[in-house]
Amino acid sequence: MITLAHFIVLGAVLFCIAVAGVFINRKNVIVLLMAIELMLLAVNINFVAFSRFLGDVQGQVFVFFILTVAAAESAIGLAILTLLFRNRSTINVAEIDSMKG
Amino acid sequence: MNPQLIQLIMFYAFGAVAVGAALAVITLRNSVHAVLSLVLTFFSVACIWLLAEAEFLAIALIVVYVGAVMVLFLFVVMMLDIKMEQVREGFARYLPVGIIVALVMLAEMIGMIGVRAMGLHVMGEDPAAAAGLSNTAWLGHALYTQFLLPFEIAAIILTVGIVAAVALTLRHRGGVRHQSAAEQVAVDPRTRMRIVKMASETMPTETVPPVAPSQETSP
Amino acid sequence: MPTFNDFLILLPEAYLTVAACVILLMDAFLKGGQRVAIHWLSIIVLLVGAWLVIDGQPATAVSGFSGMFIRDPVAEILKVFSLLTTALMFIYSRGYLRDRNINEGEYYALTLFAVIGIMVLVSAGSLVTVYLGLELLTLSSYALVALNRDSKLSSEAAIKYFVLGALASGMLLYGMSMIYGATHSLDLATILHVQNVEWRNLMLFGVVFAIVGIGFKLGAAPFHMWIPDVYQGAPTAVTIFIGTAQKIAAFGMAYRLLDSGLGAYAHEWRMMLAVLAVLSLAIGNLLAIVQTNLKRLLAYSTISHMGFLLLGLVEANPAGYSAAMFYAISYALTSAAAFGIILAMSRAGFECEEIDDFKGLNQRSPWFAFLMMLVMFSLAGVPPLFGFFGKLLVLQSAIDAGFLWLAVVGAVFAIIGLYYYLRVVKVMYFDAPVEGTDVRAQPDMPLRFVLSLNALALLALGIAWGPLFAWCQRAFGITA
Repeated sequence: MITLAHFIVLGAVLFCIAVAGVFINRKNVIVLLMAIELMLLAVNINFVAFSRFLGDVQGQVFVFFILTVAAAESAIGLAILTLLFRNRSTINVAEIDSMKG
Repeated sequence: MNPQLIQLIMFYAFGAVAVGAALAVITLRNSVHAVLSLVLTFFSVACIWLLAEAEFLAIALIVVYVGAVMVLFLFVVMMLDIKMEQVREGFARYLPVGIIVALVMLAEMIGMIGVRAMGLHVMGEDPAAAAGLSNTAWLGHALYTQFLLPFEIAAIILTVGIVAAVALTLRHRGGVRHQSAAEQVAVDPRTRMRIVKMASETMPTETVPPVAPSQETSP
Repeated sequence: MPTFNDFLILLPEAYLTVAACVILLMDAFLKGGQRVAIHWLSIIVLLVGAWLVIDGQPATAVSGFSGMFIRDPVAEILKVFSLLTTALMFIYSRGYLRDRNINEGEYYALTLFAVIGIMVLVSAGSLVTVYLGLELLTLSSYALVALNRDSKLSSEAAIKYFVLGALASGMLLYGMSMIYGATHSLDLATILHVQNVEWRNLMLFGVVFAIVGIGFKLGAAPFHMWIPDVYQGAPTAVTIFIGTAQKIAAFGMAYRLLDSGLGAYAHEWRMMLAVLAVLSLAIGNLLAIVQTNLKRLLAYSTISHMGFLLLGLVEANPAGYSAAMFYAISYALTSAAAFGIILAMSRAGFECEEIDDFKGLNQRSPWFAFLMMLVMFSLAGVPPLFGFFGKLLVLQSAIDAGFLWLAVVGAVFAIIGLYYYLRVVKVMYFDAPVEGTDVRAQPDMPLRFVLSLNALALLALGIAWGPLFAWCQRAFGITA
């Protein structure tokens, strides 16, 4: 039988994979953005699971808003990324070091 | 077979695919493959949500994420000429740290948040069905009454998304010839063609009366 | 079901939304010289917005939209000051935008949308409105930082801000999902009054993740990594927004989440905030000493100021909150003037942002050197300026609440901080100007006039700080 624990553990695993992704792909902005999408997915799994098991609609409505905002967020993120690429011809974060101090 | 057992098997199957694909997202060398793995992750999670009878969100996840956001990602990955050797530098160096951090975090979270107690929570009857509604109607009722204000704010956020993306990436380059349909339709023959009356020549040699060159539509 | 009264509460926000859309459309249709109308209209829109906030303010707190939106005196003060500082920023920024070919229409429209985000955030009564208000604010800010499209620094700053900001939002959301799981509610008032939380550890994890999100938005150490680069890389006309209205919003968010929602866990979160406060004070003040770029110096100074603001929040009582709110306002007005002076001195092709650019300013523009001195003294906390009373009230409330050691740490770092502010003053008054440069204020009369008023207000509010502080105290229910 599926229990709440199944969903929460799946969410935690995906969240930790996302955090590890941020750690090991520090230089590749595209993968960083994808790791952030994974993190939001983990959050959404939590909300859907709590909503379903508590019998409360609010969690699922929140997921609806998170999906909306994440879509706008990735549009802006990718716009900034293309801007950066046009100005610098790299997406390597380590090379992005014009500012120090 | 017991339907609940089938559900559980399905959960483990989709969960394993989701986790495997998520690992692929953060480790694959090729960014296009990483994006496709992310699509697979989203798809498996959507299936898991179907198991939890959150049908509307499962479909929304596929339509919005796989259909729109991931395509945008693919578009950008393919448009930018990314030199993979460069961006992969340091991958091996950070790999052990990343794995350790992730594992410690996972162990702490699962150990601390009371997963065992949650394991006693069995999935009960679908709350939407209990209210006599479909999942979509159940969500919709809440969305347009209790959550009306957040709904409006989400609309403003989407507007900001459009304005920002256009403001940052749209460029009007000078000197580009592009078609202006409105001007083409509004063309008046009288302004375009000039009929020149000429006296007939007595000795027609090879001279042909010059025709006014047809003007291009102005950009 | 939402009723007409719900919409009445929302009037200032609804008005600003319509105004922002009108300005966006005007930008599309107006040409050339007519565009100056957008500038003045945006300022008028903000001032009318502030008037609507004050005028329609109910005597007591009212909430609407099923408790999602709260209109109370705290929100009123925060909204008024974020609208006013944004209006100041518009006045200071006009010449800067024109000289750098930054698209003005989008600048004004996106800023107005960000201000709507602030207003929603400080009025939030539910985790959903906290999240959406915050995202409206930050998404607009990401775009604003990148708005100088041909500048490498600007797009670098934007991508750093975006990645770290999105990461922080993810953390905050994960925390919110845990809080929802533990309390079965998204409504902050309900969360506050839930007895016998089912999974207490889950709740505590949620609180920790929420603190990470708040720390990031405040720019408190150790979540400050984005602050220096964004301050330096963003166009100064945008940095000023991050340094003023956003700080007021961050205080509002911290107050709503921590006190209105997680007040029952004050014992846990105040210790975490104390750690953040000490780290911010130390890192901000020590790293500011070695900076040569004024915008970067102001960035590290912001981090230390957020440390002081956290000292007020740590007490978790109305006296502490009112001191912290007073501090946030005093900081926002002071840093508006600081960035205003940088904007006034910059011109096409020249960013007046190195400390060396200010060498000998007294010989070239004595009046602006004097204004800059007022600003630096206020940031440093020299009596009788505005900033001094901000610091004094925060330290006082920390001592009253029994956090003597925190107050001592704060005072020590305030004295260390004096060094780098005084260095700027010394450079202006006692150094010779660099040969071959000509740093002067722009001949922009509205800017000069309003900037002078802004800086002199720091002196005036320093001498007569009582009424403003009393207003802050009343908002938190303290009747003196």
